[in-house]
Amino acid sequence: MAKQAEESFQKRRLRGSYISVILSVSLVLFTLGMLGLVMLYAQKLSVQVKENIGFTIYLEDDIKEVDVERLQKAIDISPYSLSTVYISKDDAVDLLKTDLGEDFMQYLDYNPLLASIEVKMKAEYAHPDSLANIKSQLIKSSKVKEISYEESLVKMVQENIQRVGVLMLAFSLLLLVVAIALINNSIRLSIYSKRFLIKSMQLVGATQPFIRKPFVQKGVVHGIYSALIAILLIMGVMYYSQQYLPDLIQIQDIEILAYLFVIVMILGIVISWVSTSLAVRKFIRTRSDKLY
Amino acid sequence: MKSIVSITNCNIYIDKHLVLSDVNFDINKGEFIYLIGKTGTGKSSLLKTLYGELPMTDGGGRIGEFDLRKLKRKQVPFLRRNLGIVFQDFQLLTDRTVAENLIFVMKATGWKDKQLMKERIEEVLEKVELGTKGFKMPYELSGGEQQRVAIARALINDPDLILADEPTGNLDPETSDNILKLLYDISQSGRAILMATHDYTLMSKYGNRTLRCDAGRVIDSLIESSPQKPPLQETD
Repeated sequence: MAKQAEESFQKRRLRGSYISVILSVSLVLFTLGMLGLVMLYAQKLSVQVKENIGFTIYLEDDIKEVDVERLQKAIDISPYSLSTVYISKDDAVDLLKTDLGEDFMQYLDYNPLLASIEVKMKAEYAHPDSLANIKSQLIKSSKVKEISYEESLVKMVQENIQRVGVLMLAFSLLLLVVAIALINNSIRLSIYSKRFLIKSMQLVGATQPFIRKPFVQKGVVHGIYSALIAILLIMGVMYYSQQYLPDLIQIQDIEILAYLFVIVMILGIVISWVSTSLAVRKFIRTRSDKLY
Repeated sequence: MKSIVSITNCNIYIDKHLVLSDVNFDINKGEFIYLIGKTGTGKSSLLKTLYGELPMTDGGGRIGEFDLRKLKRKQVPFLRRNLGIVFQDFQLLTDRTVAENLIFVMKATGWKDKQLMKERIEEVLEKVELGTKGFKMPYELSGGEQQRVAIARALINDPDLILADEPTGNLDPETSDNILKLLYDISQSGRAILMATHDYTLMSKYGNRTLRCDAGRVIDSLIESSPQKPPLQETD
């Protein structure tokens, strides 16, 4: 009885050290994955913001219905446009009326507003330069009187997204380095506890690859477990955040999520693989009297 | 007859400190040799040089077909397969049973056939009188039993030479006597044994040749009239 208890105690202690490695690796992978998730969401958000940017083409007063349609079609098939809305002179009056809250037409005997086409742009064209370019092309048309967009807004959006992007990239690179260092450390510790075992294996004539193989195999399996735990945690966080922010579902993209999970899995496997190999190699090459 | 080990004019260093100088000896088949000397005189270093843990940088050395001077890191495992090594602290793999310890050595050294492996395990365990203990974990065995497992492990690949570094250092006198008798019997079956020890009372029982480490030299009892050499110079 006592012997059995002793044995199971020993086994539990060994398993305990594996579990702590798996847990620490999975927490690091979870942090990395969460950052990736935030970056993906930010990317999607920035696309949404940019697609809300657009410009308005004010048309000449004497333009014919046919010409308007032709122009609108031409813009529709151009690469930059996402959607176009034609606003006739009368529509413009209605819009302004609701904006102002009073019927300004009663003081006037003619409609001073111009017909216009509102263009929403694809995200990749929402850049000050390409907007200026598009404007200079469209203004050449004799039917176009004026093109207006909020230059400062476009500039601001562009600059801020860029700034946030660079910041996030720098932060995630830093975190990646931290992650690799942490995982490497905990794996090295768990191998360190087996350094004398490794020495004994060498003394009976085992080659380096033969000694390394079982350690690496175990390391990869632990990497897979860690990645699975990390993915479950990320999914849990996503589930709860959607309870509080239902809008998040709108920018959710299953395909991108799948990529993220695959990346977490690959990171888990590769980092454990490389760290385990390096750690075992280090102790194989250490002279036995330096192990103590 | 060709000797198993041949060391000529060898200097042994640890981290550039000269430990033994001008070492010369041969070991022939079936010899049982004691390696003696006070602690710190270089017994372990000499053994380490023989099994490739310390590189040989000076002089010449040969074990079987291996030239110790030209030994590369990748060849060390193959040198060790031709040796049996037994230590004071047993050096068993503590995370697996006795039989698994032996299986590890066999797999590491290229054994494939399960039936043959099983037979060989039974054979060597029988030889060290542990035929029924194959399923035990090392920590469930006494010191003497663990040392016998280590000897069984050293015998697995039928080596011509067994190096033993104070194999009785951790054992009580009676158990020591058993281990020594076991090693002596093994040497009688044609293997050479080089055993470092402090156990002078036991030495009188078996064998007679000694290599004595003293003041940086190795003195071979076979060469009674070894000429006196100038005292050791510390090199750096």
